[in-house]
Amino acid sequence: MKSLSLILMVVTWVSTHAFADDGYRIESISFPEGVPPEVGAIGFNNSGELVVALRRSDVIIAKPTDDPQKFEWRLFASGLHNACGMHVISDSEIIISQMPELTRITDTDGDGLGDHYETINASWGMSGNYHETNHLTPDGKGGYFLAIGTASHNGPVFYNVRGTYSKTGRRGRNFSAASWKGWVLHVDAEGKMTPFCKGFRMHNGILRDRDGNLWAGDNQGDWRATTPFYHLQEDQFYGHPSSLVWDAGWDGRDPLTLPLEELASKTTPAAILLPHDLMNRSASEPIQVPSEAFGPYGGQILLPDNNGERINRLMLEKVAGQYQGACTHFWNGNGLKLGNNRVAFSPDESTLYIGQTSRGWGNLAEGLQRIIRTEKPVFDLLFMSLTKNGFRLQFTSPVPDSATELSNYSMKRYRYEDGPNYGGDKLDETPLTVTKVAKVDPKTIELEIADLKDGGHVHELTVGLKELRSQVHCYTVNRFREE
Amino acid sequence: MHLFAKNVHCALHSSEFAKVMKADSLFALGVLTLFSVGYAPAADRFITLNNEPVGTLEEPLLLRTYLPDPGLGREVLANHDIGHRARKYSPGKGDVEGFDDPIRGIPAAIAVNFGPDFSYCWDTTECRLLYVWQGGFLKMENYWGKPESGRRKSFGYIPELAGPLIYLAQGSHPLAVFDEFLKTDPPVFMGYRLVDRVPEFEYTQGGAMIRVKIVPGAVPMTFVKHYAISRTEAVGYAESGYRQKIEYSDPLHFTVTVTGRLVSGSGQEELPPEYSTKKPNSDWGKALYTQLGCLACHSTDGTRGHGPSFAGVFGSNRKITGVEEPVFANEDYIIESIQKPMEKVVDGFPPGYMPPYLIPDEQIRSLVLYLKTLKNE
Repeated sequence: MKSLSLILMVVTWVSTHAFADDGYRIESISFPEGVPPEVGAIGFNNSGELVVALRRSDVIIAKPTDDPQKFEWRLFASGLHNACGMHVISDSEIIISQMPELTRITDTDGDGLGDHYETINASWGMSGNYHETNHLTPDGKGGYFLAIGTASHNGPVFYNVRGTYSKTGRRGRNFSAASWKGWVLHVDAEGKMTPFCKGFRMHNGILRDRDGNLWAGDNQGDWRATTPFYHLQEDQFYGHPSSLVWDAGWDGRDPLTLPLEELASKTTPAAILLPHDLMNRSASEPIQVPSEAFGPYGGQILLPDNNGERINRLMLEKVAGQYQGACTHFWNGNGLKLGNNRVAFSPDESTLYIGQTSRGWGNLAEGLQRIIRTEKPVFDLLFMSLTKNGFRLQFTSPVPDSATELSNYSMKRYRYEDGPNYGGDKLDETPLTVTKVAKVDPKTIELEIADLKDGGHVHELTVGLKELRSQVHCYTVNRFREE
Repeated sequence: MHLFAKNVHCALHSSEFAKVMKADSLFALGVLTLFSVGYAPAADRFITLNNEPVGTLEEPLLLRTYLPDPGLGREVLANHDIGHRARKYSPGKGDVEGFDDPIRGIPAAIAVNFGPDFSYCWDTTECRLLYVWQGGFLKMENYWGKPESGRRKSFGYIPELAGPLIYLAQGSHPLAVFDEFLKTDPPVFMGYRLVDRVPEFEYTQGGAMIRVKIVPGAVPMTFVKHYAISRTEAVGYAESGYRQKIEYSDPLHFTVTVTGRLVSGSGQEELPPEYSTKKPNSDWGKALYTQLGCLACHSTDGTRGHGPSFAGVFGSNRKITGVEEPVFANEDYIIESIQKPMEKVVDGFPPGYMPPYLIPDEQIRSLVLYLKTLKNE
């Protein structure tokens, strides 16, 4: 930890309410007087400054200071309509996905203010509904993947619509009345758009990881019994039917009238289901932990909850050719606000910045916080993987002797069924029996468990080791390992 | 009804354009600074919880947001689709009693405020000025919610204009760019530049890049649209319903000074024409001379322009490139020169500069009648 003056320590103490140091500490960052911290997107520029896009209009920049109350904010850009995705290219250039378009903002004269707002692509429709926000992730080749959210029945559409209006797409709770709502689009480096995949409700956050895999969560609601996390693949359909009206090959039927079996057969299942309330309510931007500078989780994906004081940690593995895996809490309560929307790692990769907003979407929550890795060692269940007849649990450090006691492990499984109703209950909840515990090396435990089930069953494991940072882990078994 | 400025192969240099723009905006500032209030440096001008932010003449405030549709016609919003009444839907029951009606808004427009006296709405789908108002900017509460209550969500969704309209677009787009087949494609918005903090919108149409800047005029109730157009086949400018003055720097750079008026109700009222269009007449021809933009190249006082002056043309003998004998400029000659300008190019002027004008017969005849009134000075 850097040396801090006494005053600074008091300020930090007040701003964090002195939550226990479990390897991390959390701080709240102040904004300019009167500016609502409705954080649409965040990132870092080449100079290590934090760039924040706000949903009303502005993009503001500040050099992070040790004192979270002393950020000196300045304006970089303004006039944006609900900026919800950002890729910082340099100190003088950012890419923003705002409600109407993908925009390149450049400071061409070096005065610190963006002066050229270039429309890269605006090929999706706008029904006028407040809910049609979006997000972006770079494609690694100068282009972007864009997640285009659907509209909500809580608000109207306009008489004047940009793009094409679909009467059929207009039906439903969350709906796709204007072009490409509920899709992931690809815009190449020349600005040309190609539809990529479909079937989303509110995929408020998309990530291309360092191996080139594309990921997005979605928000629990209609056709989403619980929060899913998807591995995105070209041309696949992910279950929310309204977006089908924009599929070039669609037969013109009202997607809401499709038999559930037919929909299910078209649907690519989630890699991970995050049990509602227990884990997540409204998934937002996924982010990959860049390195060990943030603790032991390098390479894993964190997934914030827009409607919970939580950030989930995902453990993904390929089983029988497809990704599936487990989720747990990286952070739960402990000073984190609601409204967690966008995330970015500091350039030194030791600090996670979290931008919050929920204006118009849920109970008011907003702000900017950061979670800083401290020097305290972390003891956690690092990775949960499926074995032939149970799970292997890899810990961050050698486990205590009690880790081989059967009584420290309990598991139940359940499943969800997507449908037109908002959310869905756990179905077929069944306690499972842990039949054997074995320590295969100082940091690894293997469990044998009777009666695992594939096809999207969630296997919820509770580990009773007191010192463990995260004790509940939910593994979604889509497939069993092949022999 | 459009003017054509043909095929001028000169690239649009932003510096040139900025020069033209700057001179004019400086002029406007000189007059209008008197009315500006609340100047603040840009760095401190964050958007706050104040739901009624404003700009100044020096630093206009641009805001992309949903905007109201104060009664724009379908011709104005020709590139928008139409949202329909939808049966109410219940996730559990499917269709239920009642309907959800669409509301009147513009989804992807840009609003700009220059202080208390001038705000406008420019649309990125139509690439066109939609309306102008006075008396402040936008009341954002409908969209941004009450600052400190509930979910900071309101159910109006569309901001309100703070004051009365003084201009509401009518009819088809005033600026048309034609391709070689004299067709117009929908415009494509390319973005905007802030030049001395004033937005200049850019869009393409028919292979041309068009840049337009809109600023308050020197006289109350007026505003000025500055156009710069890149190399193009043919461009026409004509807009009905408002008193306006078109001034050309050259065929690719011109300004339109529009005199607004308080718009009541739907704003669909028409100005009485100052000339009759029942049958061809020289007053109509005089109006067409401006509306079609003939004035960009042809003077009426004998001054040499990109094309020959109209003064004294009718009834004169013309020296034609590649033709030995002079050609007498009668009605047929004038009509041919409008419809097929490549047929007889006056000596000393570049061929292929003027595009064919495929305008209605009574307009051509009106132009001929007007040319007959223009004598050598």
